[in-house]
Amino acid sequence: MDFSLTDEQKSRSREFYDTCKDLSKKRPPSLVGFEAIYELDECWEYNMYCAKEFAKKGWLALGWPSEYGGSGDMMNRVLFAEARGYYGTPGVDIFGVQMLAPTLLQAASEEIKREFLPPIARGEVMWCELWSEPNAGSDLAALAATAVRKGDEYVINGQKTWNTGAHRAHWGFGVFKTDPAARKHHNMTFLLLDMKTPGITIRPIPYLDGSAPYCEVYFDDVRVPAKNIVGQEHEGWAVVNLLAGFERSGINEIMSMMRGLEQLVAFCNETKRHGQPLAKDPLVRNRLAQLACELAAARALAYRVADLQNRNEMSLMDASAGKIFFSELGERFAFMAGDILGPYGQVRTSRWAPLNGIWEKMFHEHFITTISMGTNEIQRNIIAWYGLGLPRMR
Amino acid sequence: MDLRFTEEQEILRQTARGFLAAECPKTLVRELEQSEKGYSPELWKKMAELGWMGLIIPEEYGGIGYTFQDLTVLLEEIGRNILPGPFVATTTSTFPILEAGTEEQKKGLLPEIAQGDLILTTALLESDGVFDASGIAIKAAPKGDAFIIDGTKLFVDMAHVAGHIICVTRTKEGTAPEKGITLFIVDSATAGISCQVMPTTSQDKLCEVRFENVNVPKKNVLGTIDEGWAIVEMMLRKGAIARCAESIGAIQTCVEMTVAYAKERVQYERPVGAFQALQHIMADMWTAMETSRYLVYEAAWMESNGLPCTKEASMAKAYVNEVYRNVSKWAVRLHGAIATSNDHDIPLYYRRSKAADTAFGSTDFHREIVARQIGLV
Repeated sequence: MDFSLTDEQKSRSREFYDTCKDLSKKRPPSLVGFEAIYELDECWEYNMYCAKEFAKKGWLALGWPSEYGGSGDMMNRVLFAEARGYYGTPGVDIFGVQMLAPTLLQAASEEIKREFLPPIARGEVMWCELWSEPNAGSDLAALAATAVRKGDEYVINGQKTWNTGAHRAHWGFGVFKTDPAARKHHNMTFLLLDMKTPGITIRPIPYLDGSAPYCEVYFDDVRVPAKNIVGQEHEGWAVVNLLAGFERSGINEIMSMMRGLEQLVAFCNETKRHGQPLAKDPLVRNRLAQLACELAAARALAYRVADLQNRNEMSLMDASAGKIFFSELGERFAFMAGDILGPYGQVRTSRWAPLNGIWEKMFHEHFITTISMGTNEIQRNIIAWYGLGLPRMR
Repeated sequence: MDLRFTEEQEILRQTARGFLAAECPKTLVRELEQSEKGYSPELWKKMAELGWMGLIIPEEYGGIGYTFQDLTVLLEEIGRNILPGPFVATTTSTFPILEAGTEEQKKGLLPEIAQGDLILTTALLESDGVFDASGIAIKAAPKGDAFIIDGTKLFVDMAHVAGHIICVTRTKEGTAPEKGITLFIVDSATAGISCQVMPTTSQDKLCEVRFENVNVPKKNVLGTIDEGWAIVEMMLRKGAIARCAESIGAIQTCVEMTVAYAKERVQYERPVGAFQALQHIMADMWTAMETSRYLVYEAAWMESNGLPCTKEASMAKAYVNEVYRNVSKWAVRLHGAIATSNDHDIPLYYRRSKAADTAFGSTDFHREIVARQIGLV
């Protein structure tokens, strides 16, 4: 057993950290939390800027085969995610770079790969995900939006929802019902579409903190070229499952929490309460230490998942366990940090807010990871059914 | 990075698993709990023949010279079967001799340990019950070519069957409690030593050891006079990781037994494992196990490679303490009333979580180390 990095990996990691640190000099102060890039123009511009800088170094195509402009391996990707997480650097499109690209590499035709991979690698085209519907959330296979084949096109009608950054994205990938008569899981097709196509209406949903990073997307006779298909017609479910496997390992969020912990420790060392540093309060010490232990445990498990992925092995159980653990750790962290900040824990980004209001933001944002990417309750089902072999719910 | 066990470790694991399944049934575990000795000398001899007691001892002293990480692989298997006895006491007490012993001490003790002929333990805690140096009050006073140790130690693991006891004493009153600590290797047959087993949750034979004007020759000082606390810290760190590895094995058994029972036990015309209320708890038990596992493996890897890991060892111990207690608690609850009977195997694991939790530092003790390590002033 060996947790060490090779010299090459260490120097690569330093390069990732240095670059992200450098990029953070241009970071707009209004960029607080994970979703603000979709919210404010200056944050979206910074996201695009970081993407271009990463693209210049070839880092948006880490782990891709060289014939599609790729370099490095899966481990490089993990190290890059760590550095970005630590500095909270955007620029790696979760949907395009992290989810769609590896899916295309495995499941798409040569033509699709040649058309869609290069703009992702160049950091030019940003993507959104068009999956959930009002009546198809965890039970995604219950979706109702249809794509009807007419000649060289599919004509899409229906509604998608909870589409992160759909109002910013250039392109979207989604699943639509193409064969209403077929049985569940064999009736949908995975399609790629230009978000500027006539007939698409995008409405931001007011999020509970007053921002609006998520959208509803309406389709009214939207015509998509039939060639924009990934996988087989009617077999989009297989692509969905493949793509779901490429969703985040959590290392990015975990490193973001590591940085958050460091900042909170510094805050507790500097801030006096009852005439002494907050850090001297045994309760604060105990809580922060407990959190540090849990963070270390989350990171060790993320390495386990990465190590499996590096060898092209995958434990569905470990990936689900990691997701449950780091996301619920995010909740605990947000609540605990808020407790430590006392009345300041409720102040939004402003001159009164400690640490630029990040913990007030996290009071809302922790829901992102517990609910999206398959709710934690679904993850527990996955562990129970596929991992522990317990009887499936009927 | 490659988080798989080596081939050698896999062999060690398989051998240990097969051996313990055959030689350490739960009937024996129960029997040993009730017995006066608390271990089986016959089984101990067989373990020695497999090379377990000499696992971490270099070949030149009669051992087989495996790494610390290899030891944790073995301990995980021992934990799966909750093998009672002085294995952890002996191995963790061997480290101070390996790292701080004189050549004479090594030659005198290590081959005997490797053979399974010498059980070793360490007397650290006193009436305060704390793991930091402030708890060490027992005095060792120089007298000619010897020291006189006088006072009482508590919670000494398997001291009643140990041939030698490493006794942590105070030889100088200083400003900082860590200064003036000296370790002695004491033959437990020395006049003035008496031992009494304490009744504990795990019935794991923790002892009160009284030293009444015990005369220990100067040559039995382990390490440097007054500078012994660093050795204790090393032992606490290694011991903490070692107990964590054992706990991982025990946690795994709790999860496996619970899942198996949930598939078997029928209520409302279906196995109770079909209910999501139970499924999600079992998923949480499994998740807690996996997060603990890699945290412990990482700490063991660091310790094994000589990397500084005070923080990682304490993180592992503080975290695993809670996980073992929680998972074994849920194992009892998901089994239902049946597992509150002492005839059931699950309570053996639940009760041992208490021993695992206090050995080599409680949760809050290790959290305070972590608090300092993450930079809190």
